[in-house]
Amino acid sequence: MKQKNSVATQTNLFYPFLFGWLLFFSCNNPSPSSTSAATVLAGYDKDAMNAVLISADSLQTFPFVTERVSAIKKSLLNPLPVLLCQDSLGKNQLIAQLIALSDQQFTQYTRQEGTQVPYRNEVFGVYPARESDLSTLSGKYNLPDVYRVEMYNYGLNLSSYAIVNIKLQQVLYRAHQQQSQPDIPSFMQKLAIRIAVSSPQVQEALGITPSEKDALMASTKTALNRTRCERSHHLCVAPTFIKNDKALWAIVDLTGHRLIGIRWTYVGATGPAVAITEKKLKEDKITSCYCEMEQYLSKDSWQMKYMLTGSDGLRISDVSFNGKPVLRSAKLVDWHVSYSGTDGFGYSDAIGCPYFSQAAVVAWEIPKVSVLLDDHNKQTGFVLEQVFRSEGWPTPCNYNYCQRYEFYNDGRFRVACASLGRGCGNDGTYRPVFRIAFAGSKDNFYNWNGNGWTNWTKEQWKEQNSASSYSPEGAMYKLDGNDAYYVQPGHGQFRDGGRGDFSFLYITKHILGRDEGENDLTTIGPCCNIDYHQGPEKFIEPSPEDITNSSLVLWYVAQLKNDDRKGNEYCWAESALENGVYVTHIYPCLAGPMFVPFK
Amino acid sequence: MKLNQRYLFLLFALSFFSCEERKVPFQLNNCKTMPPFIRKLSGFNPHSSYFSTSDIRKMGLVLIEPDSKQGSVPHMYQHTSWKKGGWLAPIVLDEAGNIYSAPAPFINPLDNPIKDQNTIYWVNGQSGEMNTFLRLPMPDTVSTNNAYGIIGMLYLCETGTLYVSTVLGSDRHVQRGGLYAIDIKNKKIIDKITGWDIMGLGISYASGKRQLFFGDGRSSNIYSVNLNKSGNIIDPPVIAFSLDDLGPRGDDKVRRIMTDDNGNLEIHAIEFNYNLIAPREKQEATYFFIYDVNSNKWSYSTATPSHTSY
Repeated sequence: MKQKNSVATQTNLFYPFLFGWLLFFSCNNPSPSSTSAATVLAGYDKDAMNAVLISADSLQTFPFVTERVSAIKKSLLNPLPVLLCQDSLGKNQLIAQLIALSDQQFTQYTRQEGTQVPYRNEVFGVYPARESDLSTLSGKYNLPDVYRVEMYNYGLNLSSYAIVNIKLQQVLYRAHQQQSQPDIPSFMQKLAIRIAVSSPQVQEALGITPSEKDALMASTKTALNRTRCERSHHLCVAPTFIKNDKALWAIVDLTGHRLIGIRWTYVGATGPAVAITEKKLKEDKITSCYCEMEQYLSKDSWQMKYMLTGSDGLRISDVSFNGKPVLRSAKLVDWHVSYSGTDGFGYSDAIGCPYFSQAAVVAWEIPKVSVLLDDHNKQTGFVLEQVFRSEGWPTPCNYNYCQRYEFYNDGRFRVACASLGRGCGNDGTYRPVFRIAFAGSKDNFYNWNGNGWTNWTKEQWKEQNSASSYSPEGAMYKLDGNDAYYVQPGHGQFRDGGRGDFSFLYITKHILGRDEGENDLTTIGPCCNIDYHQGPEKFIEPSPEDITNSSLVLWYVAQLKNDDRKGNEYCWAESALENGVYVTHIYPCLAGPMFVPFK
Repeated sequence: MKLNQRYLFLLFALSFFSCEERKVPFQLNNCKTMPPFIRKLSGFNPHSSYFSTSDIRKMGLVLIEPDSKQGSVPHMYQHTSWKKGGWLAPIVLDEAGNIYSAPAPFINPLDNPIKDQNTIYWVNGQSGEMNTFLRLPMPDTVSTNNAYGIIGMLYLCETGTLYVSTVLGSDRHVQRGGLYAIDIKNKKIIDKITGWDIMGLGISYASGKRQLFFGDGRSSNIYSVNLNKSGNIIDPPVIAFSLDDLGPRGDDKVRRIMTDDNGNLEIHAIEFNYNLIAPREKQEATYFFIYDVNSNKWSYSTATPSHTSY
């Protein structure tokens, strides 16, 4: 099965798929091919809701950036991989730049230590030195002979400074600052504004046509605010357009030459109170649109509601197909991560909203809907997907989880998830805990015994292992009654790179008014149990209830062992230096059962 | 700011009629004593041991004595009662060597139920046993989406007062936290601010006043309140300075405040969004603020603090 957009938002190393259009479900910007609406709770921020986030997948580029990109690529091939200052410099400034670049201590971080792979480096400015620049120097120098050279390393997000005496042809002092950026040079300021005004999202927000964009640059009151891309650690600025009493912040990533997103703020008499940064832009949008509002999705023959929870990930509810109720709800309660090398060591991670939640790993982007294609590029359904990430991912002991609901035109659906590493070691096992509540009030449950179907009369659990047998329909279980579905646990058959779920499946009885996980569940179980004690058993033991003709809840716990061996990576992620900056290669382990209707 | 108005009025009235201290002599607020029970533990040197609540493999309070040999496993001790509060965070010692601490969830609330997050625990300096010291009042409504309770703790030696801040019960739209001043001898709350999420606490006498500093749960502002010689709050809180736009994130919240020999403040701050992201992700940043006597203002400094006393 192909997908027009997939979990692999960071790179294209995931299973084969085609890039294509994305459907964004911003609060007020539903997709053209689906309907979306929402119930608003009190206290939402309208400007945060109306913010527009641009997906990194959109690959939107601008023709005027091409020349710069090729200059960058050329500079990476130089013995000294540094792009010279692009602002016009005087003779003395040019000399100062050359002297600085001849200093090995000033240029010591231009290549990766060990591999000598080049970082992307650029001289941002050469300025006459100030008295304060000489304060740490012991000798006496003639100030007009001294220049300050500032260089930026995009890969390390590092600033290097050199104080140069052109008369002595000597670097007097040099310093390097991690996670810092020099002042933006004039030509890059212009570039940032040009990226902003050329972006359709900015044009639409300001109510101008693309042909008016040059006039916008010239006439609109524009300020270039400093901002932060705290998550990507990229060089970002925020061209800000003032219109009446409001300011439109356009966050532009000058490492990737793209627009990150836009948001209006109220200016008032003293200007915007809080700077809009990459993180704030995203988290405010996620919170106001998806944590405080329930979204409605109607696409193809499917209808549902969805919402981000405080600790159970992206929850879908009231799911129906062709008008027939299918699920009361489905969600991902916990991720249990244990490390075999160290007994009893691991974490029980909840996933959920970025603010006010019990989530250890928080929603990173807004939910996405994308199209599923078959081998003949025919649309067969769609996917609703949500990414949760730690800030430091993919560095060790940081996590990236993806929740994924697949809905097919023929009524099949799959409740799935993936770990994208990287965790605290290569001996980790991930155990995601799904809770899937069926809509029917009179259902029965069966498992395939190799010859036929065995009916479950009591609440119970069963483990899938390498000896498990599957019915001719490929199912290990079936649900029959108001709902009629074969249940196919993953065992490598979905062509998504999955190596089998080795799942525990539990069936419990739902009784109206009794909350066994119907509401947001706090952590259901500890990190490191390796048997069926993953949490759902507490709703079964010690006295399993009769489940004949009942409203049923299916709990599904996959067991996914990570792998960091070259060529076999699974539940893993690696960073690599490409074109002078770090990119992440992901190796997801996708798990979750497929439900196939049979009536 | 939601300080109880009636209470404020009373405070003003009282301070107006009382003999107000003109200038409070400078002090270091450094009276902590190592608990006497350590001497009874075999193999622990009280001078090189320290207490920790941040060991990711040991829940609760732990006594650690690092081994002098590099790479060796440190010597650790945990009394059987030291896990009763679940995962803990602040550690405060008084002049008798009693230890005060409070719970803070780590990754998940499994061992830290919300109902216990406003509980102050203490370890008797003589016996080494941990027990509940005091439960702070619970708000009427508690949001399950906020797993935190007590955040900051500070012991004021001069008055024998334990100051405790909390954010328990708050949600995105309503602040239900507060600040409590507790007379430790009588285990009584002697003063409080409610309806305000308050973070890390610090003390300084640098301005000639006895000032309690605290971080705001919803902004990067640091507020100060003046205290009288009994440890009561005598003025409404005012903004002392802000961490806005400083450091790697620009919107840090205060975890704790330390004071150097000159009364200048070392602010330890983190990202805090009322979620349970792992502490290792919350990279702590330190900001140093110096009091300028001439301008009567606090200003950010890149200088290194003089020896931090508390």
